[in-house]
Amino acid sequence: MSTTLQFYRAGDSWVHRLNPVTKLAFVAAVTIAAFGVERLWWPAALFLLLEVPGAVIAGVAGRFVRMVLGFFAPFLVILFLLQGLTYPEPGTVLLHLGPLEVKTEGLVFAGTTALRLLVMVAAFVLLLLTTHPGTLMSAMQQAGLPPKIAYVVSATLQIIPSFQARANAIMQAQQARGLEVRAGGAAARVRRLLPLMGPLLLGALTDVENRSIAMESRAFGRPVRPTAYTVVPDSAAQRAARWAMLALAVLVIVLNTLGVFS
Amino acid sequence: MTAIAIEDLVFRYPSGVTALDGVDLRIDPGETVAVIGQNGAGKTTLARHLNGIHRPTSGTVRLDGRDTAERSIASLSASVGYVFQNPAEQLFASTVRADVEFGPRNLGRGEEEARRLADRALEATGLTPFADHHPYHLSPADRKRVALAAVLAMDTPVVVLDEPTTGQDHAAVTRIARIVAALRDEGRTVVAVSHDMDFVAENFARVVVMAQGRVIADGTPGEVFTRSADLERARVEPPQMLRLAAELGWARPVTTVPEFLDALRAGPSGRG
Amino acid sequence: MIRFRDFTYAYPTGEAPVLHGVDLEVRPGRFHGLVGASGSGKSTLAMAAAGFIPHAQGGESTGEVTVGDLVVADTPLPDLVTRVGLVQQDPFDQISGARFTVREEIAFGCENLGVERGEMVRRVDEVMERLRIAPLADRSPYELSGGQQQVVAVASMLVMRPEVLVLDEPTSQLDPAGSRMVVEALAAVRATGMTVLLVEHGLELLAEHADELHVIADGRIVAEGPPADILTDPRLDAWGIGRTRFTAAAAEARRDGLWPRSRPLPATLDGAAAGFRAAANGELE
Repeated sequence: MSTTLQFYRAGDSWVHRLNPVTKLAFVAAVTIAAFGVERLWWPAALFLLLEVPGAVIAGVAGRFVRMVLGFFAPFLVILFLLQGLTYPEPGTVLLHLGPLEVKTEGLVFAGTTALRLLVMVAAFVLLLLTTHPGTLMSAMQQAGLPPKIAYVVSATLQIIPSFQARANAIMQAQQARGLEVRAGGAAARVRRLLPLMGPLLLGALTDVENRSIAMESRAFGRPVRPTAYTVVPDSAAQRAARWAMLALAVLVIVLNTLGVFS
Repeated sequence: MTAIAIEDLVFRYPSGVTALDGVDLRIDPGETVAVIGQNGAGKTTLARHLNGIHRPTSGTVRLDGRDTAERSIASLSASVGYVFQNPAEQLFASTVRADVEFGPRNLGRGEEEARRLADRALEATGLTPFADHHPYHLSPADRKRVALAAVLAMDTPVVVLDEPTTGQDHAAVTRIARIVAALRDEGRTVVAVSHDMDFVAENFARVVVMAQGRVIADGTPGEVFTRSADLERARVEPPQMLRLAAELGWARPVTTVPEFLDALRAGPSGRG
Repeated sequence: MIRFRDFTYAYPTGEAPVLHGVDLEVRPGRFHGLVGASGSGKSTLAMAAAGFIPHAQGGESTGEVTVGDLVVADTPLPDLVTRVGLVQQDPFDQISGARFTVREEIAFGCENLGVERGEMVRRVDEVMERLRIAPLADRSPYELSGGQQQVVAVASMLVMRPEVLVLDEPTSQLDPAGSRMVVEALAAVRATGMTVLLVEHGLELLAEHADELHVIADGRIVAEGPPADILTDPRLDAWGIGRTRFTAAAAEARRDGLWPRSRPLPATLDGAAAGFRAAANGELE
C-alpha cells in the first residue's frame, strides 16, 4: 500500500531537478498563454512543442500520456457534446441530429477550449510526475507559503492513505471474526461499511487530539520564524526564468490584442 | 481439534520484500506455541497466514489437512481466532458487549449462546464491569483486553495472540497467563507472537524462533533458550532466570523461577 | 527541575480526580522512572509534567506544577515546550504529517525552534546515529513499523534538546533489544545534562538505568527512592507492579535459607548473581 497520495516518479532528469516553484511558474505561464490566444493551433502548439518534449526529457512520457488522457478524456467528451451540439451562435451546419445541429463554429470552439484545458492539465501532470510532494511543499514554504497551509496539504496527502489502511485493517478484523464480506450485493456492502465510519471517525478524533499535542511539543506554530532542514536548490537563472516565462505569457496576450495572431 | 501444517511457505509483499522465506511448521491440536524473534523477523506475517489475512506467495497452509487457500477469512475464523496487536484496528461496535458478541453471532451461535460466550469472555478478561462502556472510552490497555475477549468469545479450537502482553500491567499479564493455561486445559491450540521472554518461558510448552523469514530453532523453552548462537542471530535476549543460571555457570537449563529454585535446592549436583 | 506540589487533578469529563495530592520532584540531570498499574494515573502525570494538563486538556486542578522557575499553569505552552519535551504512547499519532522522510520528520522540531541549518543537520545525524535509525533516514515515516515509529518519536524529541524529557511508555511496540537500546540512549543523554522522566513497564531496564523511581497507585505517589529499594519492596504486589524474576527468585530462596540473610534482595542480574554466588560460597548470614 502506498503511504502517500502521490504520482511522483523518481528520476534525475533536468526537469526533475528544476526548483518546483519554477515548474509552478511554467504551469501558470503556459495556462495564461493558452487562454490568451483564440486560435485552435495555438494551444496545440504549446502542448506539442513545450509539454510533450518536457515529459520525454523527464523520462515519464508514457505515464504522462496515460494520466493526461485519464484526467482529460471525460472532460473532452462532455465538452464536445455540449459545445459542439448546442453552440448558440449562428454558423455553418455540418450535420443534423434530430433537433440538434452540429456547427463548425461549435466544434472549433469546443476544440480550442479542450486544447486550452489540455495545456493546463498537462502542465500540472508534468509537475506532479517530476516533483516529490515533500520537495514541492519545502520549495513553496521557502518561497513564502505559510507553514500552516503547507502543513494542511502535506498532512492530508499522507494521512488519507493511512486512514484507508486503518479502514482496511478494521474490515479484515471483522472478517476474522466471522463476517462474510462476499455475501450480499452492493446494498449489503454499503450496510457493512456504514458502521465502520463510527470507529474510524472516533479513532481519527483521538488521533487529532494526540497529534495536536505532538505538534505543539514539536514547537509548531511558535512565533519564531522556522528554519529549513531541506533546502531546495534554486538559482538566479531559474529566478530569472520564472519572471521571463510570466512576462512572455503576458506578451502573448498583448500581441494577440494587437492582432498578431489573426 | 485442529492441526496446523505449514509447508515451504513463502510470502512476498507487493513491494518485493520477502517476509517469509520457506517456513515449515506443524502444530498439533492442543499445543501452546510461542513465536519469537526480533521486529521484522516475520512472526506476525506467519501468524496472519493462519486465518487467511495473508495468502502464501507460494507453499501451503493447511488446517486439518484442508488447504486454506480456497477458504475465506470468515470461514477460517470458525477455526482460528486472531487477536491483532493494535486494538484501534479491531474494535468497531459501540459497546464492549456488542463488540464481544460480534464474533459468535457471525458464527451463527444464536442470541442466547452468543450472550453466554460473551459473558464468559468478559469474565475471563476482567471486563464485566465495562460491558456497557464504549470501547473508545477505555484506556489503550483495556481496549487491548476487549480485543482478546472478542476472540475468546468465538470459542475457536485455535487462538492466535499477537503481542498479547505489550502495554499490559502485571495484573493483566497474570490474567493473560491464566487464560492461556485455561485454553490449554480445554485442549485448544494457542499460538502467540511475543517479545516477552519471561512470559513465553512460563506459559508456553514450545518455542519457535524466527529470523529473516525463516524458523531457525524450535523446541521446549529449555532447549531453545540454551541455543545461544541461534538466539544471538535472532537478537533475542533469554529469560531472566536463564541469564542468571548462565551467569552462575550452571549447565542445567532453567527458564522460570520454579525451575531455578528446584535447581538451587538440588545443590551443585542438580545444576549440571 | 519538575516539581509537583500537592497537585490534584480531574479531567473535564470525569467526576473523580485522577491525581490526588501528588508531591514529586524530578531533579536536574537525573533519570527518573515512574511505575504503576494501568489506570493508576501515570499518563496523566506525564501530561501534567509536560504542561499539556491543564493547557490542552482543561479540567480542575489544585496545587501546583513547576518546571524550573516557571509555574506550568501560568506559562503559555509555546514557552513550556522549549524546556519540556513529551513523547506520547501512540507512535502513529506523533508523526507530524508535515514531512515526507524520517530525517526531515526528526528535524521538524528544530525547524520550528529556528535552529540554524548547519547545527540542525549535525543534531539530526547525531540522534539518528545514537538511536540507530540512520538506515531509515530517507524512508517515509508512515511506512515504518510501530516500533520504528516509536524510535523516530523519541529521536524527534531528543533532537530538540529540551531540559527535561518526559516519555510515556515509549518502547511498548519495540522488541527487547530495541527497548534496551532506547533506554540506554536515554541514560546516556543524562551526561549532557538532560533530565529524564520515563513511564515504563520494563522493570529490569529501570533497575539497571534509573536513578530514582516513583510509584503511583490510584493517583497517589505511594513510594519513591532508588530502584534497588523500590523494586524489592514487599508492597510491590499490592501496588500492582509485579517484580523482576531476580527479585522473586531471591525472595523465595531467602525463605529456604538459600540467600544471604544480610543481603538486600536484588532487582538486577548482577545483584542476583552476586548474592547467589556468595550463598554458594557459604555466606548465608
